[in-house]
Amino acid sequence: MAIVHEFEYFKPGSVDEVVKLLSDYGKDAAVLAGGTDLVVRVKDGFETPKAVVDIKGIEELKRFEFKDGHLFVGALVTFNELIDSEVVRKNFPVLWEASKSVASMGIRNRATLVGNMCSAVPSLDSGPAVLLYEANVVVKGPSGERKIPVLDWFLGPRKTALEKGEMVVGVSLSVLEKRHGGAYIKLGRYDGEDLAQVGVGVLAIEGNEYRVAFCAVGPKPVRARKIEAILSGKELTESVMEEAMAAVVDEISPITDIRATREYRMHMSKVMLKRALRAAVSRLKGEGPEYGTRLI
Amino acid sequence: MEELKYVGKSFTRLDERDKVTGAARYVDDLDFGPNLLYAEIVESPYPHALIKSIDTSEAEKVPGVVKVVTGKDFPYRFGLYMHDRYVFAQDRVRFIGEQVAAVLARNPKAAKKAAKLVKVEYEELPYVLDQMEALKDNAPIIHPDLANYWHVPWYFPKPGTNIAHWRKVRKGDVEKAFAEADFVFEDTYRVPRYAHCCIEPHISVALYDYSGRITVWSSSQSPHTQRNLFAQALAPLGISHKDIRVVVPYVGGGFGGKAGVSMEILAVALATVVKGHPVKVRWTRAQEFYNTYMRQALVSKIKVGVKKDGTIVALKNELYWDAGPYAEYGANVVNAAGLSATGPYRIPNVWIDSICVYTNKPAAGPYRGFGYSETHFAIESHMTRVAKMIGMDPVEFRRKNAIRRGDPVAYGAPMNPNGLIEAIDKVAKEVEWGKKEESKDPNKVIGKGFAIFWKAPAMPPNTSSAAFLKFSEDGSINIVVSGMEIGQGYMTVMAQIAAEILSVPIEKIRVELPDTDRNPYEWQTVASHVTWSCGNAVKRAALDAREQIFEVVHQAYHLEKETLYLEDEKVKCKTDPEFQLPLKDFVINGIQTHDGTYRGGPILGRGIFMPEFTTTVDDPETSQGGHPNVHYTVGAGAVVLEIDKETGKMRVLKAVEAVDAGKAINPDLVKGQINGGLLQGLATVLYEDMRFDDKGKVLNPNFTDYKIPTAMDVPKEIVPIIVEVPQPDGPFGARGISEHTMIPAAPMVANAVEDALGIRIKSMPVTAEKVALAILQGKKEVE
Amino acid sequence: MKKKITFKLNGEMRSVEVEPNDILLEVLRGKLGVKTPKYACGRGDCGACTILLNGKSVRSCLIFAIEVDGAEIVTLEGLSKDGLTPLQESFIEHNSFQCGFCAPGMTLTATELLEKNPHPTEEEVKEAIAGNLCRCTGYVSIIEAILDASKKQ
Repeated sequence: MAIVHEFEYFKPGSVDEVVKLLSDYGKDAAVLAGGTDLVVRVKDGFETPKAVVDIKGIEELKRFEFKDGHLFVGALVTFNELIDSEVVRKNFPVLWEASKSVASMGIRNRATLVGNMCSAVPSLDSGPAVLLYEANVVVKGPSGERKIPVLDWFLGPRKTALEKGEMVVGVSLSVLEKRHGGAYIKLGRYDGEDLAQVGVGVLAIEGNEYRVAFCAVGPKPVRARKIEAILSGKELTESVMEEAMAAVVDEISPITDIRATREYRMHMSKVMLKRALRAAVSRLKGEGPEYGTRLI
Repeated sequence: MEELKYVGKSFTRLDERDKVTGAARYVDDLDFGPNLLYAEIVESPYPHALIKSIDTSEAEKVPGVVKVVTGKDFPYRFGLYMHDRYVFAQDRVRFIGEQVAAVLARNPKAAKKAAKLVKVEYEELPYVLDQMEALKDNAPIIHPDLANYWHVPWYFPKPGTNIAHWRKVRKGDVEKAFAEADFVFEDTYRVPRYAHCCIEPHISVALYDYSGRITVWSSSQSPHTQRNLFAQALAPLGISHKDIRVVVPYVGGGFGGKAGVSMEILAVALATVVKGHPVKVRWTRAQEFYNTYMRQALVSKIKVGVKKDGTIVALKNELYWDAGPYAEYGANVVNAAGLSATGPYRIPNVWIDSICVYTNKPAAGPYRGFGYSETHFAIESHMTRVAKMIGMDPVEFRRKNAIRRGDPVAYGAPMNPNGLIEAIDKVAKEVEWGKKEESKDPNKVIGKGFAIFWKAPAMPPNTSSAAFLKFSEDGSINIVVSGMEIGQGYMTVMAQIAAEILSVPIEKIRVELPDTDRNPYEWQTVASHVTWSCGNAVKRAALDAREQIFEVVHQAYHLEKETLYLEDEKVKCKTDPEFQLPLKDFVINGIQTHDGTYRGGPILGRGIFMPEFTTTVDDPETSQGGHPNVHYTVGAGAVVLEIDKETGKMRVLKAVEAVDAGKAINPDLVKGQINGGLLQGLATVLYEDMRFDDKGKVLNPNFTDYKIPTAMDVPKEIVPIIVEVPQPDGPFGARGISEHTMIPAAPMVANAVEDALGIRIKSMPVTAEKVALAILQGKKEVE
Repeated sequence: MKKKITFKLNGEMRSVEVEPNDILLEVLRGKLGVKTPKYACGRGDCGACTILLNGKSVRSCLIFAIEVDGAEIVTLEGLSKDGLTPLQESFIEHNSFQCGFCAPGMTLTATELLEKNPHPTEEEVKEAIAGNLCRCTGYVSIIEAILDASKKQ
């Protein structure tokens, strides 16, 4: 398990120091938070940074605050912290449900929401949730702070809108104005921890408004605008559901790999969309199934 | 029949405290001092290629590197049942990942760095990855020298081909029987490769000290067999067995994968070139997948003929096994499974061809079940289909044809006493066979599947176990044996047997882990045979000790030996209730007589067990005439499977398994084997899925993509059932069960899928994806 | 560039020199005499390397040693120091472990669970230990022991 590749390790005390290091090293720097993604990639030789910048010593990045209807999730907030938060469970249940599906206890005690979003792997569990809640990625760089709407954040497999010298300090989510129900369903090969072969996230918002997002079935997680248009303003009848499911094929481009075939992914995307929508509507009404229940 | 005090009770395991507190030491936990060298292996990137040149010059320059070796330093061929394997590849490589060279360095980073700098030039050769392709006339020949390989007399390799071994079983006249049968059905089933996935990877540390002794610490099921193979492999060095010492601390799982010798030979070979330095070779998880034994892949073409009333009259089974390029152990899987590839049925006319085929995929060898899990997928799937096709209930069909005591098996020897009918009945009752269940969820259907199974230990006819048993001053006991505690609870069972004979409580008994310098011989801890074989040896050692105890009491007190008995750690006398002599008073120090002199001394029991009725002498064209297997353990299993028709996802609502343990010496441990084995079996059929690229490279050598069960995957309900029809020559009637518990899992799931959906899936794994796509495509059968 | 790190390990302050690319699991095992966290996969998939870092169960194979400067680590050795915990007694009573290789990681995860959630349901127990792979037992005896220990709390 020895790592041959050598690098320098930094543990700065402020965001400004991080920005300086990232500007100096550019592509040769890697930000280290939980390490559950980075360390494996360094071991496998897929990442060979010259500088590893450990951000765990920066207090402000631990900020996990709900104020005036806005939730700020700092870069160091872990998935288990999200799960333990009543605020998240109540106000952003799809993010809560997605967090529960990530890996296992020992990983979730380290893995961060921001780290997941920065990895931008096509199968990331947080992808659909942050797209549905239209979060903003709060970034700090050499030219100061900026907010990147999450809809502009994911650019491709392991590619984000982050520019040289920039780091993500947190993600902010705003509580929806209207009541909503939602669901995140993840396809795995068995009942234990797995990377999503398909991920479907759905919001059913009061007034027959819907939001739909997919992950693991394209180079990046996406909002399914066509499906949302079909559903918009309508009651979820059988025929509306069928129309929505038929549109899935236009929204996603799954591949065949060692985890699943294109055919199964396409099929499951439809099935999972259907079940997610039904669950979301039911939860909007205040009925079950409880968030966290297995739907497939 | 006296009531047993220790045997049959679920005592706390002897090793449980060690494991719960973290005191248990495994090989990688041992410290070897600052002289320890670390090895990094240079591996072949090609499935089949000639090695043109190896340049180690750059690697040698890396600071910390002590030595770089290649195949030419170890021109040795070796193997357990056939010498077809190499310590390091010689003139050619035969699978992706095969060891070509190695770097020895003072620290792991230097070793790894240097290994990358070893330059190997290859000339690619045509390769073959599938056993059916490898049998074709124009297939590349993987062992051109096959004719010159030593092998045991019961292997039949075919030089000039890729056939490492061909076991033929011919009984009666199948063609005539098929012609006369009322119904004949034939089909083909496919089982792919699987991996053991012991949580502890393989590891070996070896030291060739300055006096020329070799000491090896390895995570192994077979210390004495390892010692033997090391001696053979390094014969040119002329090291006597007594100067090779194999020490095995606790082992983190074996499942057959740590039997024989696989990567351990590397540490030993490397140690010989760096005298005085211990060398550690620790496998990564990836190497664990592609460079230890895998489970063979199988294509089984099976044909069964029956009468109208369901009586089986004939069975033909053509088994084609993909064994990888080295079949020294794997060919015995082919042999053993082949001899018994009828399943536990009474069949008068049998034709079996079990063919071990070389391919350029990683080497395959022993895995829990030793070929029987693979063959039973085909047999038990097929029997259910045959039963249904003639309108008979699949359980009734099995009851009717179940092999009974005394019936001849495929090679003619008589079947031992067994509780197969009882197992069938109990499982059928527990799972409410015949009662159709409905799911409350409109998307789901529920099906039930049934399977029966058998297996005999697959061993040479002269395997043996030996035990020493010694007392200490306080009357406590050390049992010194070379069986291996790989998790199955073997140590505890040995202690319980000794406790029963000697009336010493379990808490006062230790069972020592193997050290070939000190512990007497045990062939291997495989084949589910140590409870029976070593149990017999320990029982004999205990009886021997008891005889010595009675003898010295007789000499000192003049009491007749027939009147003596042991109870509560004392010698007592039936005819003199006053006489109670504590063992601790004399088991070391002897008994002082009336004139002040002593009789006795240290009580030291000795026991040896080797079956005297087994033989592999048979007709190679028919396999008739021999008695290769000591006895069979039988059982039955059933599953209640809930399937979501939209997603294909299957969940086990209830899994029931009955196994005939003869006598469950520790029922808790038997249940532990049922729970663990069933889950391992269910995983092979439901989601374990080994993937190769088109060159034979393992694409998922990790737990990220080769999924083994987690706590979330445990069936809703598991019902273990212990049947006890005594094994006449077993200790207290016991026979082994550990491998068997896995065997029925795959076919009972496939049968449940057919029951629920009317879809017959004839290949493993039976994944949710396969089921969902079959439903979508309206298929009734999936190849 | 070697750096000296200092941290609390099983109640005692320890110091060791590490390179940035040294993995915590290997440093604990190779340099600090702590043998219970095990190498079994190196990718965080199996849980055998689990330790408690500042009270939380984490995969020590996915942490650079240099990251734990100033931290507090507990391994199974630390738990067993002053006698067995009720959870450990329960494991023994139930004959929970077979080969024992998963036991240290499993025990730390279960310890964390019972501290956080003293009376978990069976489902919650399974979810909590889902990241600790066991190939031998089929998990039944482990789950029973944890539930039993929780009842006695």
